[in-house]
Amino acid sequence: MKQIVASFLTVLMLAICAPLAALAQSGPLRIEITEGVVEPLPYAVPDFVAESAGAQQLAQQIARVVAEDLTGTGLFREVPREAHISQVTSFGSPVQFADWKAINAQALITGAVSEEGGRVVVKFRVWDVFAGTELGQGMQFAGTPDGWRRMAHKVADQVYSRITGESGYFDSRVVFVSESGPKDQRAKRLAVMDYDGANVQYLTGSNALVLAPRFSEDGQRVLYTSYETGMPRVHVLEVGTVQSRILQGQDGVMSFAPRFAPNGQTVVYSLTRGSNTDIWAMDIGSGGTRQLTNAPSIETAPSYSPDGSQIVFESDRSGTQQLYVMPAGGGEARRISFGQGRYSTPVWSPRGDMIAFTKQNAGRFHIGVMRTDGSEERLLTASFLDEGPTWAPNGRVIMFARETQGAQGASSLYTVDISGRNLKRVRTPEGASDPSWGPLQ
Amino acid sequence: MHTGHYISGTAHGVLILWALFGGVFRSDPPEVQVSEVSVISEAQFAAMMQPQPAPVLGAEPAALPEPDVTEPVPEPPVEETPPAPTPDPVEPEAVAPDPVPEPVAPLPEPPAAEDLPQPPAPEPVPEVEAPDVALRPIPRPAPRVAPEAVPEPAPEAEIAPEVQETVEQSETPDVTDAEEQQATAPEAAATEIVTEAEEPARAPTASIRPQTRPNRPTAPTQTVAAPPATAEPDPAPAPTPAEPDTAADATASAIAGALEEALSGAASGTPDGPPLTTGERDGFRIAVQECWVVDVGSQAANVTVTVGFEMDRSGRVVTSSLRMLAASGGDGSAAETAFQAARRAILRCQGDGYALPAEKFDQWKTVEMTFNPESMRIR
Repeated sequence: MKQIVASFLTVLMLAICAPLAALAQSGPLRIEITEGVVEPLPYAVPDFVAESAGAQQLAQQIARVVAEDLTGTGLFREVPREAHISQVTSFGSPVQFADWKAINAQALITGAVSEEGGRVVVKFRVWDVFAGTELGQGMQFAGTPDGWRRMAHKVADQVYSRITGESGYFDSRVVFVSESGPKDQRAKRLAVMDYDGANVQYLTGSNALVLAPRFSEDGQRVLYTSYETGMPRVHVLEVGTVQSRILQGQDGVMSFAPRFAPNGQTVVYSLTRGSNTDIWAMDIGSGGTRQLTNAPSIETAPSYSPDGSQIVFESDRSGTQQLYVMPAGGGEARRISFGQGRYSTPVWSPRGDMIAFTKQNAGRFHIGVMRTDGSEERLLTASFLDEGPTWAPNGRVIMFARETQGAQGASSLYTVDISGRNLKRVRTPEGASDPSWGPLQ
Repeated sequence: MHTGHYISGTAHGVLILWALFGGVFRSDPPEVQVSEVSVISEAQFAAMMQPQPAPVLGAEPAALPEPDVTEPVPEPPVEETPPAPTPDPVEPEAVAPDPVPEPVAPLPEPPAAEDLPQPPAPEPVPEVEAPDVALRPIPRPAPRVAPEAVPEPAPEAEIAPEVQETVEQSETPDVTDAEEQQATAPEAAATEIVTEAEEPARAPTASIRPQTRPNRPTAPTQTVAAPPATAEPDPAPAPTPAEPDTAADATASAIAGALEEALSGAASGTPDGPPLTTGERDGFRIAVQECWVVDVGSQAANVTVTVGFEMDRSGRVVTSSLRMLAASGGDGSAAETAFQAARRAILRCQGDGYALPAEKFDQWKTVEMTFNPESMRIR
């Protein structure tokens, strides 16, 4: 009997030891981390060093713009200068990493500015404080004193890129419709500005209603719809010369909602004949046109995929406004939006992985994003009226127009991270709508 | 319907009860011998330790008449004392006490003699803890004390207060203290006290637990060679001969093999020592993840990256050893960004070193940490 019990115990021990053997660690300690924190990364930007007599103010201004750019993304948090232990007095002096660690700055940006003979030189370095190493290599930009903001944006782009691994969007411009006057007599004109609302310049007068400006891929041209002739027609404007011309001028038809193809040579737009609206494509060079959709419903707001192979657009062919995707050359379209409410103004992300849209549901407007197949729909905003999303060049931020309610309601521009965080208003001198984010310069 | 269950349950219950109370787990020999012990005073103990000097001083004792002192000794208490030591050291070494008791008594000075007659020294007991000392064989103290303790009886009266001091000194070092105290032993009764200080360390050996139980034999063959070196409190459990077992040879070898494979891990070249506990691993993981900043909207949020690094004994990361071992879910740029975020997390939260058990350094000196942001991605 004892032998039986002993055998039983043997089996029992083996059963216990087997898992132990599995648990026994072999090789290095292996740990998997699946939960992190979502918070801005702390960094420090001491005032840049002025290496020439007259560059003191410029050095401070550039450092401030760099800090505003980075902090404005919501991904970074500046450690206040009052908390700095070390002072950077020379661009070439070694960094006291311990001092920056002490204030928990994970990244440090040091820079210097010199101005001589109407030429400004800005140089900078980015440091990984806890690793005690430099991120990338030092770099410098040169320009005129008037272009100091652009140089600051370029520095910020480099810093952003080195830390996040993605390209920045600070040195970019936005074309939009500037609005002034009361709501029932609002004057609209095209304007262009830096991404942060600075340096606003007007491209057209306010004598004619203009709508839906769209930057070309190279940022040198702008498509827009103008009622200059009393009927909506697509125009193209050269940003450099501020000269515009009618792109589509057939009599008796309305053309609107234009957008460039990635190659910059083709334009897609909506064209209304009678009561039917379809999507057309035009070769800018030859002026040749081609009809891409042919349905009794309204098809409009086309937007190319980054590779130019597909077009997303809105259509009410199903009874309500929904989003569809079709080949760039036309053909059968597939519906990608199936949620409740109405979807409109789709825009393909520069990354190519998502589509931003305007959604109206239950009396409210939303800006949302979804995968290109319509999955993973997420609404990022909600208000009385949000519309007209446009992507930042890196596909990370969406700018849109928000209009407040009431007779005194005004439209202004906002940005939001695609995660739904960091909703910010873009300060413009007047009301603004219909933004179109240009490429990184 | 459940007849099988009932039968099975009953059978298992009976089996368990039988295993618990039927003697299966009972080891045969572990009987502890108990012997009665009586308490003796310092003077008595000192007297017991005088057998050798006594004859040497044989001539002088005569010079030390003082029969008066002896007079109180024979008094009732004195009569009680002689028997006391004898039964205690019933053990082998009771040899010394035999001749000593009486001649030693006069050695102590009057004051000491006065103590003797008094009740079996209940007061000094706690200090000297004579019984324990008496129980111990302790061959060493005797020769050391004997030669020089005799000429200095007076200090013995003050042993108690000094004992404590020497004990304190000997607490920190273990072996080295013993040696140092040997040098100072001639002074007063320090040697005795030293032995007391060592009691805690030797207590386990005194308990003499039978080693019949299997305690992680590394390998049956090796255990055979090890026995001669046993009896030492080596970290490695003393090899216990599993041979004597009757019909449990196969069982013992199987269990030993399984344990060896599961716990030693020597064959696979795994780190020595016990593995980190779940709590220790979780503590390490949580410490790092608190600094892992995930940019949920970035391409890097799609990347699962594995980072390898080395650590020193203080729990600090060897920065130069940080390297990306693997990455999946994104392009090279996204993977590099994910690696940088992981690297910052590891470095930023280490502070003065991660709280990891130093005795398990072999377990965590090399780390492979996987950062998987899947659950944090925006959907």
